[in-house]
Amino acid sequence: MITGKGITKTFRQRGGMLGAREVPALRGVDFSMEKGGAVSFIGESGCGKTTLGRILAGLESYDSGEITIDGVPMSSLSHRQRQSHFRRIQLIHQDPYSALNPARTIHQTLDAPLTLRAKQTGRSRSWMDERAEELLGLVGLDPGYVLPRYPHQLSGGMRQRVVIARALTVDPEMLVADEATSMIDVSLRLGILALLKDLRDRLGVSVLFITHDVATARYIGLDGELYVIYRGQVVERGPVESVISDPVHPYTQSLLSAIPVLHGLEVPGAERVTPTEAIDPNRKDTGCLFAPRCPFRTDRCEAETPVLGHDGSTVQEHACFHPRSRSVVATPAVRS
Amino acid sequence: MSVTDQRAPGVRISDLSVVYRTQAGELPAVRGVDLELMPGTITGVVGESGSGKSTLALSMLNAVQPPGRISSGSVEIDGLGDVVALRGDDLRKTRGRHVGYVFQAAQNSLNPLKTIGKQLLDLGRSHDVDDLPGLVKEARSLLDRMGLDGARVLDSYQHELSGGMRQRVGIMLALVLNAHVVVLDEPTTALDMITQATILRIIREVHEERGLTTLVITHDLGVVAEIADRLAVMYGGRLVEQGPTREVLGAPRHPYTRGLLQAIPRLVGDIDEARALPGRPPTLSTVPPDGCVFRERCAVRMDVCETGEPPVLTIGPRVVACHAAGDGESQKETVTTGPTRGEEQA
Repeated sequence: MITGKGITKTFRQRGGMLGAREVPALRGVDFSMEKGGAVSFIGESGCGKTTLGRILAGLESYDSGEITIDGVPMSSLSHRQRQSHFRRIQLIHQDPYSALNPARTIHQTLDAPLTLRAKQTGRSRSWMDERAEELLGLVGLDPGYVLPRYPHQLSGGMRQRVVIARALTVDPEMLVADEATSMIDVSLRLGILALLKDLRDRLGVSVLFITHDVATARYIGLDGELYVIYRGQVVERGPVESVISDPVHPYTQSLLSAIPVLHGLEVPGAERVTPTEAIDPNRKDTGCLFAPRCPFRTDRCEAETPVLGHDGSTVQEHACFHPRSRSVVATPAVRS
Repeated sequence: MSVTDQRAPGVRISDLSVVYRTQAGELPAVRGVDLELMPGTITGVVGESGSGKSTLALSMLNAVQPPGRISSGSVEIDGLGDVVALRGDDLRKTRGRHVGYVFQAAQNSLNPLKTIGKQLLDLGRSHDVDDLPGLVKEARSLLDRMGLDGARVLDSYQHELSGGMRQRVGIMLALVLNAHVVVLDEPTTALDMITQATILRIIREVHEERGLTTLVITHDLGVVAEIADRLAVMYGGRLVEQGPTREVLGAPRHPYTRGLLQAIPRLVGDIDEARALPGRPPTLSTVPPDGCVFRERCAVRMDVCETGEPPVLTIGPRVVACHAAGDGESQKETVTTGPTRGEEQA
């Protein structure tokens, strides 16, 4: 079990004539992931979802808050001890082209972490070879074909599978997949998603899925949770199906409304929400962060800050003073 | 402006083939494509990487770069003639004035060292525009129309603009010389969902207001579904299916179109209905020279697919190239084996 409590992170941009500028990326985010669970972060670019993923993978520092892995608070550990915990959380990022060393064969790529693993567990060379083949088989690749090859000889989809196999070498507890399918061809995307789903079932690996594509989040884990993040804050959180079918925060509704409708197959939702203006990063952060773009804002939204929580009317939590269910998602067209 | 009239021109792409010279000889990236862009409509071309969709788009400007070349076919634009036959200055003048092009990743196709306004003036000068203040005025009103502060944007460098703003600048630059045929290559890739929805809405509105004939190239069926009147699906350099968007999406006839639609996870309904397409798309060197290009991944493959060129079936407003598509159908109206003209030219 992995939890985060009140995680904040502010990036400081140095230089420029105006001096340093502070960009808050995360403003006190709580997170929790059961073993074998699935959590998806959705939001626009710059909302902090990637930063949160990197923090949870131990690749980024955070200003305040606490991350706990299996009950052990990370702040209580030395750097070395922390590292061995974070090794159990592996990041798969969106570009499989740059994630693999072009000068190494897939065999060499898998060998490095397997050597480490063999040392830790006192296993032999032959175990490493067996394990490499086993892992490639697990991600749906033919070891005989893939092992002697270099990354450039593989397609994007195969490369992403190799990246996933490499992540599995250390027997991770959680995979953080950051837009892991956005650079893969459309007809191959579902295969990668199905693989991640399959790894959850077969190995009990939890998957943290970071995306702007809500439908893929639904595919990864119907039983999972969805976090809708806006400017470093979680604005709606709950079971995937209830957030998608019954969203109450206007930002969630805007995101769902923006998903293209497959006319001919689907009918658009009757109450689609369009935000009023683009993000102005220089705006003062008072009241609800979404208020300037919210078509339903009131004076209260400008003055007070809503807090994420339950109000009893929905399964999921939200941070909105005026939650209201709206039908924004497209529904299947009735076949004539 | 020199456009013959204000009506949107039609575009007829006939038997277009583009080859790339490689060590293995000349390989076809686009093969025998017939596509008509009706005046005043938006046509969406969907395909994966290597399907030839971007090469097709470049052919609209006769801008295929070596080692590629257009090996046969024509691109006829009303009031302009065959673009493929144009050379030198005539061709240069056509680009921008008659055919506007918004490049893939328009975000990155702007000059980082010059303000947008300076780049606009460069464009005007290279096209011998006499009335530069008029051009600036037109650019400003276009940007204002797309929801930006035109004056401010023209004074900005590209790094001062967000992705969605740069995309709008790209659209402005494509339209400012009053082109009435516009090609948009992946107009919303790398943009956020909400920004994408905004850009698509703007494209649709500007298209209608200015009376354009628009071609949108994308890998995303959703983008086409949202804005295109007609949809054309490319695979391995071939156009495998085309027709009115709603009809194609509602009842796809080509197995590839069906597979592609099925591979998209949806927001409602049974999530397990989403199925991955087996295999992977062909590259330039692995496209089979004979028979159907899709057969390796096809669920309804037959013996004839190995060797026989799929027949091009025209069924009302729809066209599909598949051996299996006509099976048991009474609607089959005309069957042609290929383009009617220019078939044999080298």
